[in-house]
Amino acid sequence: MKTAPLLIVCSLLALASSTLLGGPTVSDDSFVLLPVTNDPTISFRVVFLVGSQNDPAGKEGLAGVTASMLTDAATQRNSYEQILDKLYPLAASYSASTTAEMTVISGRTHKDNLKDYYPLLMDAILRPAFKQDDLDRMKSQTLNYLENTLRYASDEELGKAVLYTKLFAGTGYGHITSGLAQSVRSITLDDVQSFYKKFYTTGALLVGVGGGYDPSLIDDLKRDLGGLPGAPSVKVHNHNDLNASGTGTSTAARQSDTPIPKAIPLNGFEVTMVEKDAPATAISMGFPIDVLRGTKDWYALAIANSWLGEHRNSSSHLYQVIREERGLNYGDYSYIEYYPGGGGFTVPPQNVARRQQIFEIWIRPVPNETRHFALRAALREFQKLVTNGLTEDEFRLTREFLSKYVLHYAPTTMQRLGYALDDRFYGIKGSHLEMFREMMKSLTLEDVNAAIKKHWQYGKMAIAVVTKDANAFKDALVSDAPSPITYKTPKPESVVNEDKEISVFPVKVKAGDVKVVKVEELFEK
Amino acid sequence: MKLFTVSIFILFILIAGSTAMSESIFPYTYRAERLPNGLTVIMIPMESPGLVAYYSVVRTGSRDEVEAGKSGFAHFFEHMMFRGTKKYPAQVYDSLVTTIGANANAYTTDDYTAYHLNFAKEDLEKVIDLESDRFQNLDYEKAPFQTEAGAVYGEYRKSITSPFALLNEKMQDLAYDVHTYKHTTIGFEADIKAMPEAYEYSKSFFHRFYRPDNVVIIVTGDFNPDATMGLIRKYYGSWQKGYVPPQVVPEPPQKGERTAEVSYPGRTLPIIDIGYKGDAFDPDNTGYVAALVLGDLAFGETSDLYKKLYVKEQKVEFIASSIPMNRDVPLFEIYSMVKKPEDIGYVRDEVNKTLEEYKTKPVDVQRLKDMKKRQKYSFLMGLDTPDHLAGGVARFVAMTGGLDVIDRLYSKFETITPQDIMAAAQKYFTPERRSIVVLKGAKQ
Repeated sequence: MKTAPLLIVCSLLALASSTLLGGPTVSDDSFVLLPVTNDPTISFRVVFLVGSQNDPAGKEGLAGVTASMLTDAATQRNSYEQILDKLYPLAASYSASTTAEMTVISGRTHKDNLKDYYPLLMDAILRPAFKQDDLDRMKSQTLNYLENTLRYASDEELGKAVLYTKLFAGTGYGHITSGLAQSVRSITLDDVQSFYKKFYTTGALLVGVGGGYDPSLIDDLKRDLGGLPGAPSVKVHNHNDLNASGTGTSTAARQSDTPIPKAIPLNGFEVTMVEKDAPATAISMGFPIDVLRGTKDWYALAIANSWLGEHRNSSSHLYQVIREERGLNYGDYSYIEYYPGGGGFTVPPQNVARRQQIFEIWIRPVPNETRHFALRAALREFQKLVTNGLTEDEFRLTREFLSKYVLHYAPTTMQRLGYALDDRFYGIKGSHLEMFREMMKSLTLEDVNAAIKKHWQYGKMAIAVVTKDANAFKDALVSDAPSPITYKTPKPESVVNEDKEISVFPVKVKAGDVKVVKVEELFEK
Repeated sequence: MKLFTVSIFILFILIAGSTAMSESIFPYTYRAERLPNGLTVIMIPMESPGLVAYYSVVRTGSRDEVEAGKSGFAHFFEHMMFRGTKKYPAQVYDSLVTTIGANANAYTTDDYTAYHLNFAKEDLEKVIDLESDRFQNLDYEKAPFQTEAGAVYGEYRKSITSPFALLNEKMQDLAYDVHTYKHTTIGFEADIKAMPEAYEYSKSFFHRFYRPDNVVIIVTGDFNPDATMGLIRKYYGSWQKGYVPPQVVPEPPQKGERTAEVSYPGRTLPIIDIGYKGDAFDPDNTGYVAALVLGDLAFGETSDLYKKLYVKEQKVEFIASSIPMNRDVPLFEIYSMVKKPEDIGYVRDEVNKTLEEYKTKPVDVQRLKDMKKRQKYSFLMGLDTPDHLAGGVARFVAMTGGLDVIDRLYSKFETITPQDIMAAAQKYFTPERRSIVVLKGAKQ
């Protein structure tokens, strides 16, 4: 990373423009370029600032289906089968990914094959065919995910989906990207076409290109993507407090002009329990936070969060308490940014940016008989952190860890390109990952503990639980009944003594704040 | 593990395809050395500013779990390797790995176990010190051993809600009678439950299998090979050889088709898994190498059947094949998820019909050529970071102890003809070798 080529935000050239053929072109400002001369491949990330927050009511899932109709379906020039045949010898592909605020079409090709690959990619973005049989296939896949996979095959993903939809109910973030089953069933070709026309515009466009490309490729992209309609659908504004404090590290943010989702304030612990015949209990919990990357507080909070629950890492304190010392599950982590598909990745995904983030704790499935204990153990650790802050030693160790660990976040050109595009979303001038390492040098323990006090609080949190006999758990929670734990094997005295405290740690939940839902009812309408 | 084998297959193909333009297909110059104690070291420098990947590949996986009641133990033992030594107790190990900001983890497969760290190059000696210490001097008490068994059970619990976990468990149990591929890598639930009782056994597992003559170190990225070799000699030199290979009982030839149904407690579309007994990995076996090609040609995204069942008729949610590389006889499998239960028979018959066609009809020469081109470029694009490179060659190293097999495999691959593919179809895809499992959801 040290000698990695610097990100160049395109300052392209009157020169290039003069070679163009007249027609509309995409502005320099929409390009993010990451040339890597010795890279034999070229990476593309074409981002549209549109996502599931733009789904019309009753059509939840439309943004995701529309995106897949570009990349997994026919174009005006080629049937889907022909596209597969043409991509096959190139060993190249492209795909779409949609989250609440962003849709990214990404792909990578060897530069030898660019001339064959590029027209296919442009056709997908500019000339989708929108055929009924393709739509049927996309809807079927989405419904299979909602009705089968999400409800039954991964209780962890289910728990996270329930948490997010609870926190943002009634806002653009209030449904998952795959949408609602009834709405997906109702999606028509007209819906897809209108959505595409309205949102796939040059105003909503950010184009990322990385690797060993020739500069003429950028001219081609400017000309070709200029064929999209030009309605301005993004707002450009500053939100970055580092800029406000005069450090000059921010730039204009490129974000959607839809209102920022505001979560309904939480009264206390608000619990959603999903009743299902689950072999173990999955728990996700959290609350909204008003802090975004690029700000000093975010990096301070990143240190506290890494200590508490670095993703898929044994340095996580929650992991140490729940898994390492007690063997209750496979892992326990925490987050200050949206982190979809966490079971499958060890480092954060790119281009899933949001203007409203949450703090989240993820407890991987625990035996049903230890669910109350595990919940208490996690909340107790969080309360201790909010009350006491980090110690000097914890702060130093975590800061040292992060300053090197972020090197692993983006080892490939494609990943670095993803970060660079997210920098544009968040209005970060330069690079978030470089700023991350710089901030590790300058932040103090006081900064970290002040950020904890400012952005985290104990006692107001949404909790999503996927479990069996949910009503029994509800009763136990509402009565704050002790939850002693026994192990089949001996534990050290220190653990046994701490268990006594955990098992009666007060978690006050009102009966009216616990909602039990059946799994079949979720994501339906 | 099944998904893993698919990706490995792809990697193999990538590697196989790359040397059209040179003697060796492998784009990096590497150096392999063996210490007097049998430890093999493979060093592959590559451009990767400041980053190094360090893999310790133990050539032991769930295949080596020959004792009854001990399925899943190789994986469990992988967890125990993080429980510390006298020099670096678990918490000290964790804190040192944390201090250097390494991305560290491990995984277990049917044929091997890999421990991997990615880190900044200035920390290489610290990593060699830590890794050599735990491989030689692992030392844990009974209590943490038993606690870790709980974490392993947790891993089982988080995975078993997937219908594919249940399907694979059933298929392996059905298709094998005596070979250890009868169980999955995570193991039977009953054996996982009993793990806390196996403390003494775990020590013998360590002493038999965690020996230098059963381990290969792979170092990739930005490092100096001479200096690194010196460090490895210094830190691993006193490790005593003594690997005791387990007596894995070969699976006798299957004598007839086997079928089973399995009920998934939740809701899912039906899944059909059709498995055929194949051959162990052997780059000199023309039939085996042709089968690797056949899987993608017959069932991949550009196959007639994929276009028919997935794109046109939309009878399946997906269809895919897995032709894995294994030390012993694996299953060559075709998976499909069927949209309507009444189409299960139709889809199964279409798969069979396709395989029959491959027995008699030579594959189009242009498609075979396209595939070779695809392989070449996939290969060139695939090994782009130290971690991808080391992880990508780990299975070859685990199966054969070295990398030279990649060139042999490639040479063979280049010679594959449409007739070889027909012969492979005739050899492997017969009813006698077949097992079929159909999974259905209990809830509708």
